[in-house]
Amino acid sequence: MNVFDSNTPRTTASNEAEETLRLLANLPTPEGLEARVHLAIKQAPRSGAVLSWPHSSGSKSAWANSPFARGAAAAAIVAAVMGGCWEVYTRVQPAPSPNTYAMPRVAAPNGFSSANAMRTPRTLNGPVISPGQVKKNPAQKTDPRSVSSSPTKAQTPSK
Amino acid sequence: MSASQTYLAGWMEIAPTVREDTRQHEIEAALASMVDEYASTLYRVAYSVLRNPADAEDAVQEAFLRVLRHRDTLDEVRDHRVWLIRIVWNIVLDRKRRAKTRPETDDVSELARVLPAKGLSAEQRASAAQHHAHVLACIDQLPGKEREVLFLSAFEELSSVEIAGVLGITESSVRSRLFRARNLMAELLQHSRSLR
Repeated sequence: MNVFDSNTPRTTASNEAEETLRLLANLPTPEGLEARVHLAIKQAPRSGAVLSWPHSSGSKSAWANSPFARGAAAAAIVAAVMGGCWEVYTRVQPAPSPNTYAMPRVAAPNGFSSANAMRTPRTLNGPVISPGQVKKNPAQKTDPRSVSSSPTKAQTPSK
Repeated sequence: MSASQTYLAGWMEIAPTVREDTRQHEIEAALASMVDEYASTLYRVAYSVLRNPADAEDAVQEAFLRVLRHRDTLDEVRDHRVWLIRIVWNIVLDRKRRAKTRPETDDVSELARVLPAKGLSAEQRASAAQHHAHVLACIDQLPGKEREVLFLSAFEELSSVEIAGVLGITESSVRSRLFRARNLMAELLQHSRSLR
């Protein structure tokens, strides 16, 4: 049964479209289509061709053709390869990571760099500390040579 | 040939067992019969969407090559015809999607040229071609889901159940989409006539 058999109120209005599509659906196929498809199938590569087990003569080595023996051999090969990989993996030590990290220098937003200038913080002017004065003992005699050698000390007024 | 060469040749040779060989022959025979039986149907399905003979033939070949790749699952397929139409349908939709940049007007004029117009004069033939081109331009304006159902429903040999199988939807969905498609087509054709 075709779906066009159902009667709907607007079927007649869309008959033109269906007629065009039917013409399209009944177009003759090009000659030799099947032959070309056959040829394409023949030329297509056969996938899944695995290297076969070598031919064995006689029943002595018939076990070699059994799927169990093939599976066991494949498992042995995989185990040998994996064992070698594990050996290498366990022997190789990872390189130590550095303790310090160099931080990237961030450029100023306007595009100019600071040219390695160091910022000096502004600090308050603290009290000026004058060198301490040593009180003289008035009873001690002044050596005239020492007075002459250090006149500034002698001229310093006492407060 | 030395002994070692003989041994190596034994490794490289593909030696299927007798049972495998027989099975391969059976599959190839089934595939060949499918080509003979369904290639023309698949071509017409592909052509209705692609509207280009070379592209349609390519799509058919690609469909059978996909079957060849999955030939081991052939026994599990219940309806080979619907299965093949589904494969080619997916291929043509994919190609149509990729070739979206191509102007639709070229497709339409090409299609109008190949449509048969037997027993018509040259003037009538030109008029018919123009009409079909106009109708196809209206079909191209339909939404994708409705357009797909309308395309497949034009094939006499496809029932609504089979269309549902091809599109992977239910039969009731096929019917409702077809109903909408017909209504939209009627509106589009009326609208285009009123503009003329």
